[in-house]
Amino acid sequence: MRTTSIRFSGFGGQGIILSAVVLGDALVIQRGLYAAQTQSYGSEARGGQCQSELMVSDKPILTPIRAFNDILVSMFQTALDSYIGSLRRDGTLFVDSGLVGDLGRVPPETARHEVPATETAIALGNKMVANMVMLGYFAGVTEMLNLEQLDAALAENVRERFLDLNKKAIRAGFDLSRDSETNSRTNAGTNNGANGGRR
Amino acid sequence: MAIDPQPDLRINPLRKYVREDRMPHFFCPGCGCGQVLSSFLRGVDALGLDIDRMTAVAGVGCTARIPVYIKMDTLHGVHGRTLAWATGIRLHSPETKVVVFAGDGDAVSIGGNHFIHAARRNLDVLMIVVNNFNFAMTGGQVAPMTPAGSVTMTTPYGSGEPPFDLCALAVAAGATYVARTATPHIARMDQAIKKGLEHSGFGVVEVLSQCPTHFGRYALGSGSPEKLLDWIDGICVPKNRADSMTPEELEGKLVTGEFVHRSRPVFRGSTFIDESTFINESDVAEDNAAGKGECRS
Amino acid sequence: MEREYAKNAKNAKNVKKEKRVLTGVHFMQGNYAVVEGALAAGCDFFAGYPITPANEISEGMSKRLPGVGGIFLQGEDELCSINAVAGASLAGAKAMTATASAGYDYFQEGLEYGVAVEAPMVIVDVQRCRGENFATQADIMQVRWGPAGDHEMIVLAPSSVQELFDFTVRAFNLAEEYRTPVIVLSETTIALMRERLVIPGEDEIPVVNRKWTSKTPDDYLPFQADPWGVPEFAGLGRGYHTIYSINPHDEKGSIEWDPDAFERLYTRIPAKVAKHREKISTVQRYRLDDAKVALVAWGSEARPCLDAMEVLRERGKKVGVMKLDVPWPFPEEAVSELGRLMDLVVTVEMNVGKYAGEIERACNGRCRTARVTKNRGMIHSPEEILEALGSLEEVR
Repeated sequence: MRTTSIRFSGFGGQGIILSAVVLGDALVIQRGLYAAQTQSYGSEARGGQCQSELMVSDKPILTPIRAFNDILVSMFQTALDSYIGSLRRDGTLFVDSGLVGDLGRVPPETARHEVPATETAIALGNKMVANMVMLGYFAGVTEMLNLEQLDAALAENVRERFLDLNKKAIRAGFDLSRDSETNSRTNAGTNNGANGGRR
Repeated sequence: MAIDPQPDLRINPLRKYVREDRMPHFFCPGCGCGQVLSSFLRGVDALGLDIDRMTAVAGVGCTARIPVYIKMDTLHGVHGRTLAWATGIRLHSPETKVVVFAGDGDAVSIGGNHFIHAARRNLDVLMIVVNNFNFAMTGGQVAPMTPAGSVTMTTPYGSGEPPFDLCALAVAAGATYVARTATPHIARMDQAIKKGLEHSGFGVVEVLSQCPTHFGRYALGSGSPEKLLDWIDGICVPKNRADSMTPEELEGKLVTGEFVHRSRPVFRGSTFIDESTFINESDVAEDNAAGKGECRS
Repeated sequence: MEREYAKNAKNAKNVKKEKRVLTGVHFMQGNYAVVEGALAAGCDFFAGYPITPANEISEGMSKRLPGVGGIFLQGEDELCSINAVAGASLAGAKAMTATASAGYDYFQEGLEYGVAVEAPMVIVDVQRCRGENFATQADIMQVRWGPAGDHEMIVLAPSSVQELFDFTVRAFNLAEEYRTPVIVLSETTIALMRERLVIPGEDEIPVVNRKWTSKTPDDYLPFQADPWGVPEFAGLGRGYHTIYSINPHDEKGSIEWDPDAFERLYTRIPAKVAKHREKISTVQRYRLDDAKVALVAWGSEARPCLDAMEVLRERGKKVGVMKLDVPWPFPEEAVSELGRLMDLVVTVEMNVGKYAGEIERACNGRCRTARVTKNRGMIHSPEEILEALGSLEEVR
């Protein structure tokens, strides 16, 4: 596979970094791939911009950051506004449709997925698992890993008492991706980001 | 150390503890450090402590040279870090008894932060603070316990700094044995140091001591050790007498005696070791990943 | 409250023992890889004071050490931490502290003491940009020259999470072997990054232990070196009556001033490291055999150099990379060889240009030299390196 760069973005407290960690853990431990996860965050204890970049490859990763990402996940409007400029124009975008309303700056050739992640999480009983709804959806679209692999990574990274809820959220997101006609709008091939990263 | 079954009574019995190859010592004539050294050795000898299992810790200063003359493992030579060293030694090696020798500057000027935290933690060491009212080794500069108004090399017009009450500081910060004594009162000094050696927990013995070379000459106008001993004796007020005196009557005096002698668990490290708080590695990663780690400055 | 403390302290007897070495494949953050490397090397004492981006090292140690019988101390400041490490080391511990740039400033007196009394200590410095957690390599000269007095520091510069583990193990081994402080010079980039980490089996990890003396106290000279250059260790509380003083001392540990003894001591102490320089200061060579241009880097900056090298090789340029695992002691032989063999040697580093001066000195005018530097809180991208090289005729 070509090296792929994925950026998760949102505000502090949304579990942005956890999404990247769970995905990276699953890809490294379950799939035997190489991954490098980096992050930045504001000094606020809660709130503030938060982003994490995950590079994935079948060979060791050298430079751990990229000027342009292949995939961008934005869980909040300000995060999208900050990072859309570093998404390849033909890349893939995932947004939380409840918290990102303005897609005016997204180039037309970008594949976009509007996922009701927070809304789904609230329906499951806890808005904190919106990140996992998104991750489940992401897995369904990119086919980078399956549900069992995500479950295994979750068990390593989430406290036991929250494990079931997180698993449910991942499944709910995954199901949404299978039903993308009604729950999201997709205007281009969905796998180009995951498989067609450029150097 | 093996006990000599047939001691030669013509030799001071404490000489077996002394590094004779280091003599003559470096202290000025009439300095109080030699008295404190002897008092410490009398305590060790009277209690039958195994000095081979003990470590002395000393920073920089005249007082810091005391253990250099004793046959005893010693750390020496970084100003103010005595208690930091002692903390490392005690935590790693609880079977090693640690005694800190520090001057007033070493203890509560540059070492002040370590002092209050050692007291808070109840670090299991005895700290003997020789208070000669100035920085002596460096030439007689003002120190945290220099009496207000004193002339020193850096307060030529008299000190504008109020002094610390080291014992009150130690008590307030949580030390579990605190006493003040003075070199003119040998028997009481011996008793305080001996009690400190027996104590388990953070013990502080402040010894008021004469510095004829600097503090005596500059602040008190006399380089005579006898006159300095008289001056110290004159400012000392035993605690039982001080209790019935007014603050005005105690102005310029220092209360001697024992201020606290209490028991509290000794410090064993910052981590509470308790099965119920025992967490495995994946939780470490998770704590960090799930919110905490991403939101810290 | 005190009673509660006492009640809980009693529970200390019920500590569940944990594994020291977590053999297996992990997706782990760099700071935790340092923790695991330290434990694998036998670390049993850690003291640290909070500072970002090194906090995960303290946090990891506080959780892991009790389970392997070690001690964790959160010092009241960095001065406490480094000196507690010195004290514990002299009591026999394998001891470590960790901080980030600003905290490293405070370590200098503890390092000076560690050098002088020959105390094995491991110090981790996660370099950051003045008060902000952005990436830099600006402390490279401070770790070499920080403490007062004559010394030869050993500084390891890992470039990945795997190397943070491996080099931490090596740092403990070198500290014990040479009885000296050893620094692991980390960086924000790798400290906060998560990557694949493979921890080998416990018996596959080489561990060096201190050379304790077998002499009796009467025959023992605490600062007399063996032919390797290092004195045997006696430790505290065992009847050897050693004075561990920062002051000039002779082989017996006597601290009276003697210019001959002083010169002898401060010839031997740096020399015990310097004379083993070629063994200590390993380098990694990438496609240098037929190269005419060498990129030289240490730490994380080796990564974009390797990416840039591949691009230039595809363009037919004979470019190689030399990665310095151990910037100090300076790998004199390896770098001066580059000077003899290359047309151009380029130093790539994340600061205003510091280590480049050493590389240029060692090349000694025998080849052209250049610098690619950047200090913007972010590792070089390969594109930035390529752009900077584009102006050089050897690469164009």
